[in-house]
Amino acid sequence: MPVLREESVAHRILIAEDEPFIVESLDFLLSREGYEVSAVSDGDLVCDAMQQLSPNLLILDIMLPSVNGFDILRRIRSLPEISATPVLVLTAKGQESDRVRMQELGADGFMTKPFSNRTLVEQVNRLTGQPVAGG
Amino acid sequence: MARFPIGQRIRARRLEFRISQSRLASEVGISPAYLNLIEHDKRQIGGALLGRIAKRLDIDRKDLSGEEEASLVQELEAIARNQNIPGLDEEAVRRMVAGNTDWARALLHMNRLYRGMSEQALALSDRLGQDPSLMALSHAILTQITSIRSFAEILQDIDDLAPDARQRFSGIIASQSDQLGSDAREMIELLSGDTGRPEGSSPEKETDDFIIWNRNFFPDLEYAADELRRDLGEIDDRLGVSIADRLTGRHGIRLTFDDGPTRVDGDALNVNCYAPEATRRFRHARHLARLEFAPQLDALVDDERLTQEESRDRAREALLSYAAAALLMPYDEFLDAAETERYDIDRLAGRFRGSFEQVAHRLVTLRRPGSDGIPFAFLRVDPAGNISKPFSIPDLRMPRFGGACPLWGIYEALGTPDRTIAQMAGMPDGTRYLFIARRIAHPSRGFRTSPTVHAIMLGCEADQAERTVYGGGYDRPVAPVGFNCRSCARVDCGQRAYPAIRRTPSRMAAN
Repeated sequence: MPVLREESVAHRILIAEDEPFIVESLDFLLSREGYEVSAVSDGDLVCDAMQQLSPNLLILDIMLPSVNGFDILRRIRSLPEISATPVLVLTAKGQESDRVRMQELGADGFMTKPFSNRTLVEQVNRLTGQPVAGG
Repeated sequence: MARFPIGQRIRARRLEFRISQSRLASEVGISPAYLNLIEHDKRQIGGALLGRIAKRLDIDRKDLSGEEEASLVQELEAIARNQNIPGLDEEAVRRMVAGNTDWARALLHMNRLYRGMSEQALALSDRLGQDPSLMALSHAILTQITSIRSFAEILQDIDDLAPDARQRFSGIIASQSDQLGSDAREMIELLSGDTGRPEGSSPEKETDDFIIWNRNFFPDLEYAADELRRDLGEIDDRLGVSIADRLTGRHGIRLTFDDGPTRVDGDALNVNCYAPEATRRFRHARHLARLEFAPQLDALVDDERLTQEESRDRAREALLSYAAAALLMPYDEFLDAAETERYDIDRLAGRFRGSFEQVAHRLVTLRRPGSDGIPFAFLRVDPAGNISKPFSIPDLRMPRFGGACPLWGIYEALGTPDRTIAQMAGMPDGTRYLFIARRIAHPSRGFRTSPTVHAIMLGCEADQAERTVYGGGYDRPVAPVGFNCRSCARVDCGQRAYPAIRRTPSRMAAN
């Protein structure tokens, strides 16, 4: 089930990831940075959630149930109302071919699991154009 | 090979013996100044003088000839260059070899070990990439490590963490560590069954790998088959007869047919008398390839990755079947027919007088760059579920051990003789493949023997389905399947044989 939160004026981040503990740690870290965080765990729900929430950034896991990350990114880039949203891709595969394929599809950033919290937060701040918050 | 400066060694040995430069010089009949030049590698020596110095210093002449050292320098310098180690030019390597020959040897030995291990790691990584169970396990393990690392960093970096958060995050680290341990154990169990290490591989696996490395395309055999067919003349319908004539006429082979298995007995080639015409032709073509393509076969199986004699024998047998197919189903003509007939295997079998299995195998080999057919993966199973002949394509990995998803058409085919099963298979991540499967039975040789039964399957990407008679891509009903139970996210599947690796109880609860 998707965990959708209410919108707010803060920068919004949507996490598409089916591993609940990774969602929980990202939620904790990014909320501390002042972001409004939402999450979906099923590939089929990502585009709907983006249209509903208009996030400033999507954090997208490559391996999701129903629809894989490649197809999701392809779909996002074809939908005018969400096509400009920056996408940070998470993968446990980390293979160069995945990275190249995702870049060709229009990914803006790429993080290979396991990543360090600090690097992830830096990437998120960079992609949202947000100055690094304290803490 | 560059001569190695041996002066430093002479000097070291002389000092070991506590002999002065002038004394050694006089004993070997040269001036102290000349010996000084030799010791500082300003003069190179050989012949009688080298012999006298070696004898006086009680050292083997070949140890002073410097050949081993020169070779060490050459190899170590190449390593330094290849590994981009800065500051290690030829002179630095020379000094090291001269001063510490034993260490130089050890370094070379360690580099050989390192290279061996790198190759093993590559083989293992290749194995991980090929097998869905291992892929799912490695994904699960990386995911757990990611959670553990992230929460550990939070606990470490954030001082003002609320006590309940601290407790919850510690709990997650503990539970994920447990899960990590159990997944790692499972991975070890899987790997211990088949480690991917070249020297631990079975001949069957090495042969499968050999086919995969070559992408199941052997241009030398295609060329040899084309040449031989030309030599046999304009044949068309008479190809089988021409092959039989060649066997008897040129090679003096007697072609016999009894109810025993196919075998070579002296100068006789026996084919089972119950075997259908297609099998008989194929057996004859295979034997002709054995007799006429020996040089090509020898060269192909002379591959260092086939580490055992039995592997080379098996690879040769596989190549003989390849060559027979190339002879009976000429590449260009067959590819042309495949496109025209829209990959209808039965119609191709009719046109080329082959069996369903022979045609299916031939379709997988249409990989000539610039003139290729649909990329197909291949799999064969027996009624007990044992897997053989797996051949993967980049986007469709066939299982190499363990089982596939029980919902795949190949298993349905086992129970539906004489019917080709075409299945649009949908994976949990949304990707789709066309599977074409059929039960293959070789008839029994009388009441007391059982027929041999397998099912074979071709698989290709759904996008290619339009090119085949087996059905258009995205319009047809999709069968929800997986790769195998361990890697499958379909938790409510009634055919589930093992719990999925990615869905642990804790994760389910959290979802």
